[in-house]
Amino acid sequence: MTLELSQLTEHVKTMGETVAQRHRTRADLISLARRWLTDYADRAEALRVRARAEGVAVPAESALDAVHALPEMPERYTVVGADGSQIQPDRHGAALYYVINIGSLVYRHGSGQAPEARSEAMLGFREDDLYENGTPVAGNLLDVRRDLAELRRLADACESEQPGPVIALADGPITLWVLKDLPGGARKAKVTAHLDQLDRIQRAGGIVGGFVSRPGSKEVTRLLHLVHTLSDDAKKSELPNPLELLADRAVFATLPAGARSALFISPKEINEQYYAPRGHEAHFFYVNLAKGESDPVVARVEVPAWVAREEQGVDIIHAVVVAQARIAGDYPYVLARADELAYVSGRERAALESMVLSSLMSAGVHSSLSPKAHYKRLTRQGF
Amino acid sequence: MIDKEFQVGRVLRASTRGFAIGCAVMQPDIPAFGSFVKAELEASGQLIYGLIYDVRVEDDPFVRQFIGANPPDEVVLDQRENRQVPIEVEILAVGCGQGDVIRHCLPSQPPVTLDWLYQCTDEEVRAFTNRFDYFRLILEAREAPSDELLASSVRTAAAARPEGEREAFLVDAGRELVRLLARDPSRLEGILRRLRA
Repeated sequence: MTLELSQLTEHVKTMGETVAQRHRTRADLISLARRWLTDYADRAEALRVRARAEGVAVPAESALDAVHALPEMPERYTVVGADGSQIQPDRHGAALYYVINIGSLVYRHGSGQAPEARSEAMLGFREDDLYENGTPVAGNLLDVRRDLAELRRLADACESEQPGPVIALADGPITLWVLKDLPGGARKAKVTAHLDQLDRIQRAGGIVGGFVSRPGSKEVTRLLHLVHTLSDDAKKSELPNPLELLADRAVFATLPAGARSALFISPKEINEQYYAPRGHEAHFFYVNLAKGESDPVVARVEVPAWVAREEQGVDIIHAVVVAQARIAGDYPYVLARADELAYVSGRERAALESMVLSSLMSAGVHSSLSPKAHYKRLTRQGF
Repeated sequence: MIDKEFQVGRVLRASTRGFAIGCAVMQPDIPAFGSFVKAELEASGQLIYGLIYDVRVEDDPFVRQFIGANPPDEVVLDQRENRQVPIEVEILAVGCGQGDVIRHCLPSQPPVTLDWLYQCTDEEVRAFTNRFDYFRLILEAREAPSDELLASSVRTAAAARPEGEREAFLVDAGRELVRLLARDPSRLEGILRRLRA
C-alpha cells in the first residue's frame, strides 16, 4: 500500500555515486564539445548540405559559436502565453469523454494594466470527438488536439491585440509532434491545421516562438561530431560519437548571462517535409536566462523561418523571453501563469465526474464506474 | 436546500467548539471577520452555525518568488486581480439547527472533513439573531478575539435587517450585554465602544 523506502535505501546510495561518476565523465565530454565548437566555428557554410542529409542541426549563421548579447527591450510590448492540459478519456469512468483546458495570459508590458487571464475548456463526447477513423482519441491524438488549441488561442490573441510588438509564446517546440503511423492523410491534415495557425499569427504581425525549458535535444552536439569526423583530426576512437548522450544545453552553458547562441535549423523530418515548404521552417537558438553571476540556466527557443530572417524579430523574442523568465525565476511568467490557468485539479476532475453522473441520471441513463475504478477510488481516498 | 452560490469552502479540521476551512478565492471574495456561516451534517441534516473569527492568507510559493524581487506593476496586478488567494478560515461554533428550530449551543457533533461551509443569507442571520443566547458562547471563547468578534457579529446582524429596525436591534443587543457583563464594566464599555465604531 505504501512505498517501502527502506527497500530503496541502498539503491539510492548507489545511484548517488553513479550519478557523481557520470558527472565527472560528462565534464570531460562538455570540454570536448566546446573545443569542437570553437575549432570548427567557421565551417558552418560548408556543413549545411551535409548536416541536412545526416539529420543534425543545420547552421543558419556563418559562425557556429556566435554569441549575441541581450538586446534592448522595447518599452512597450504585448506577450501572450498559452498552455493546455487535458483529462484523458477513461473507459473505467461513468462515460467516455475528454476535456481540453487551455490557459492563456495576455501581458501588456508597460501598460500598467492587469494582464488578461483566461481558461477555456472543451468537452469531447460525440462519436466524432472520440474516434478518428476508428482509433480512440487519446494519447498522441489528444495531445495534438491540445497543441492545436494552444496555437489557435495564440493566433486569436495576436489578431485581437492592438498594433505593436505582439509576441506569442508556446510552451514547447513550434513543430507539431504527430505519430508517423496515422492512417491516410491524417498526419498531413493535422500539420496543415497547425501551419494555418502560424499563417494567422504571421498575417496579424505577431512574432511567435516556442520556449523549451531544460531542453534535452542533441542536435548541435551531433553536428559537432559530424564536423569533427569530416576533419583531418578525426580519430577512430571518436567513433561512435562520444557526445551521443550529451544535450546541447551543456555546450551552451558558457553563454554570458542573457546572451543567445547562433541560430540553427531543426533537422526534424516533419520540419523539412511540411514546415519549410510553407515558410515556417523551425529555427532555434539557446539562451542563458541567468542574471549576473548566477549559475547558467539554458533554454531553447524555436522560431519559424520568417521570424528568423528578421534580426529584429529574433532580438525581440530573445529580449522578451529573458525579461519574462527573470520575473518568475528562469521560466517565462506568461507560461507559468498559462500553465496554472490550464491545470485541472483532482478536485475539479471529481466535480466534473459528478456533474456527468447527474446529467446521465437526468437523461435516464444509469451509469457507474467500472469495478476497478470504484475500488481504486475507495482505496486512494481517505486519510 | 442550501444555495451553492454561498459556498465558502470545505472543512479542513473540526471540533464541536469550532472548525477551520480551506479555500482558494479571488481577492474580493475573501470571507469577512464576524460573518455568519453554516455547515450541514450530511448524515443527520443538522446545521451548525458559526462565526468567522480568523482569516489567514496562506503561504503561496508562486507569490513568494516575487517578495523582494520588485516585480513589474503588471505582475502585481495579475497576482491581485486574477489569481485565487489560498486562505484558511477559522470558525467559532455558536449554534445548531434542525428544520426551523435554531438553538444557541455547541453542536453535539462537529462537521467532518470536506463538508461544505456556506455563508448565511440575510434571512438566516435575522432568524439566528432573534435571540442573544449565543453572546455567552462568544464571550467565553478563549481561541477567538471574543470582544471584537461579538461587536462585529452584532454589526453584521444589524446590517442584515431593514434600516428602520437596526437601531432597535442594537439597543436590544446592548441591553443583553449589560445583563451579561454587569460585573465587568470595563469589558462592557470596550464592547459598547466597538459597537458604536
